[in-house]
Amino acid sequence: MEKDLMEIVKKIPMAIRIELAERIVDLLLNSKKAELMPSGLAKTILYYWQRDQLTSDTGIEKLLEAGIILEPEITVTMLNELKLEEIARMVEDLLKTAK
Amino acid sequence: MVRFGLEFVPRELFWKTTYYAIQADKGLFDNIWITDHFTNRNVYVTLTMILVYTDRITVGTGVTNPYLSHPLVTAGAICSLNEIGPGRVVCGIGVGDRTTLEQAGIPMQKPLAAIRESVYIIREMTSGRSIKNFAGQVYKVPGAKLSFKVGKPVPIYIGAQGPKMLELAAEIGDGVLINASHPKDIETAMKHIKDGVSKANKPLESVDVAAYTSFSVDENPKKALKAAVPVVAFIVAGCPDPVLEKHDIKPELGAKIRESLVKGNLGEAFSQVTPEMVDSFAVAGTPNECIEKIAAIIKTGATQIVAGSPIGPNIRRSINILTTQIIPHFKEVEKPQALQKI
Repeated sequence: MEKDLMEIVKKIPMAIRIELAERIVDLLLNSKKAELMPSGLAKTILYYWQRDQLTSDTGIEKLLEAGIILEPEITVTMLNELKLEEIARMVEDLLKTAK
Repeated sequence: MVRFGLEFVPRELFWKTTYYAIQADKGLFDNIWITDHFTNRNVYVTLTMILVYTDRITVGTGVTNPYLSHPLVTAGAICSLNEIGPGRVVCGIGVGDRTTLEQAGIPMQKPLAAIRESVYIIREMTSGRSIKNFAGQVYKVPGAKLSFKVGKPVPIYIGAQGPKMLELAAEIGDGVLINASHPKDIETAMKHIKDGVSKANKPLESVDVAAYTSFSVDENPKKALKAAVPVVAFIVAGCPDPVLEKHDIKPELGAKIRESLVKGNLGEAFSQVTPEMVDSFAVAGTPNECIEKIAAIIKTGATQIVAGSPIGPNIRRSINILTTQIIPHFKEVEKPQALQKI
């Protein structure tokens, strides 16, 4: 999934990444399923946050990965709300494949 | 210049607390305080995570207690932290709350002596000195020394509420943590703090006086107040009658909230919290309302404002508000930008 997700992330315009990262971070912090966050993924996100790199390709990739694990439906809805319909569709396809 | 701190209760997952800590580190905060209750995640593990993922902020226990954690153990833990984040560690200690100690079956014996002796033991140990034939009222230490090299001395803050503890805290501490949110209460505490420093023959400025507040800020005042209500309910329920009367709150109202909480009827308890109670026991409201109250607290002589639980209805957003709107009102700083990004 990691390789596919990175392909998707590269299509996300830089202009929207700050807002996207903010929305995913809020989603993760306020999720009732926050305990589903894998420890290694959490540490990677913290590492990128400490270095102001959450909007980089890898930063967004890790945030999306966490969003998909904790709140897959809301993550897709959020992408659509941000007018990232193509990205949302690709993430949905990825989720179907993963199932 | 006044300092700003944040308090976190490690009930939250480690990664969440650490996320907020990084946010505070990028912002204008000076201190992060982590509470120490055996029911929550361990304070030293939390502090270690924070030190690893932050670069400049000072961190400390806020507060540990000398009954559940022997001062020798506390000293070792604090020195270990000081190795991970040299010069960025403080030790906050206080007798804690009776209820938690009762749950653990530990009596709160001789609190003043326990704090005085603990501070002595921790200060000696964290300074790399050995303790020989110490025979206090609470602790006996025939001989102890840390087996590793310690860093620079760690400031010791003492959590205090009552007059005698406040006086002692100012007398022997490098800082005092006053558990209060209303300028009236902090003003009263300051009188005892002044007595303490004069007893030690040291200037008041040598002690960092921190107002450890219940804090809740949001652009929407209703949301800010709503977030503060559960914390205020527990504070009012645990308040002695004279403290309630000082704030013109009828003791029977406090008793009713206490009764509802004991029954586990949280909704009922929270519905009895009035705006006056929130005003007495929290700094809560819009950024401007919080600025006004913080200014009144600083006027009493407090040198550090700690924004404690709940911080706000959305902690990430509230930390951003503190960094971009509230703290710059009290500190001359360049416009912070990092936090506005995420």
